[in-house]
Amino acid sequence: MGNSRWPFVVTGLGLALLVWGSVWGLVYAPREVYMGDVQRIMYVHVPTAWNAMLVLTFAFACAVLSLLRGGWGWDARLEAAVEGGVVLSALLCTQGSIWARPTWGVWWDWDPRLTTTAVLLFAFAGILALRGFVDDPVKRAVWTAVAVVIAYVDVPLVYFSVRWWNSLHQLQSTPETVSRAFHWPLRINAFGVLFLMIGLVELRARLAWRRRAAESAPPLPSRVAMAAGRL
Amino acid sequence: MRGVIEGGWEFVIAAYAVTAVVLLGYAFSVCWRLWRAPRP
Repeated sequence: MGNSRWPFVVTGLGLALLVWGSVWGLVYAPREVYMGDVQRIMYVHVPTAWNAMLVLTFAFACAVLSLLRGGWGWDARLEAAVEGGVVLSALLCTQGSIWARPTWGVWWDWDPRLTTTAVLLFAFAGILALRGFVDDPVKRAVWTAVAVVIAYVDVPLVYFSVRWWNSLHQLQSTPETVSRAFHWPLRINAFGVLFLMIGLVELRARLAWRRRAAESAPPLPSRVAMAAGRL
Repeated sequence: MRGVIEGGWEFVIAAYAVTAVVLLGYAFSVCWRLWRAPRP
């Protein structure tokens, strides 16, 4: 893992795009006919959903490559992507709950889209917890990679749940299902979250890499002596 | 009852505030942990 500055630049670019898209969505975008101003939540909720699935797809790819090729780099990226996916999934559920209250009249409903998303959040949060419990680095890498491959089955279920089952949640928001007047703030925020997560996943992978290197490094003689009480 | 939602800015502000806190908080958390991590 390198030490270059590009992840900081990409993270900063992502934050700047998010500010730009959010101001556009809050101030300049028109009100939606039926939902009124509440629809403006879409400009943060939908980019979060798209990128949560994208980051978890990257975690799945890292898990497969970790199992097939080995190498600690894929394991570090897997850990970073799973953590990023958990953060975005938790944010997604919170935003959705806030949007549900004025539109559906409830904070939460066990409808297929919400239920599969909650399963996604808890499955990947469980994988992060699993990593914390396993001391052996090899077992930790293999077990979490297998767990990610199994948990990833839920991602297409989340995406297609609104089509396959009778859901309270609306169909997927895409350029085909969203009015043209709403496209630009949605796209800007989608790229904002994407750039932010690219930068943060790379930085988080470097952190996992450093921890892994420190874990396998032999203890310094002075530390051994200190632990034995000789210094 | 017209089937149109009136108002609701408090929900919009809450959603944007939660988004800002979570994303900025996570960005800060990653940078802080990386800065404190041992260098190989």
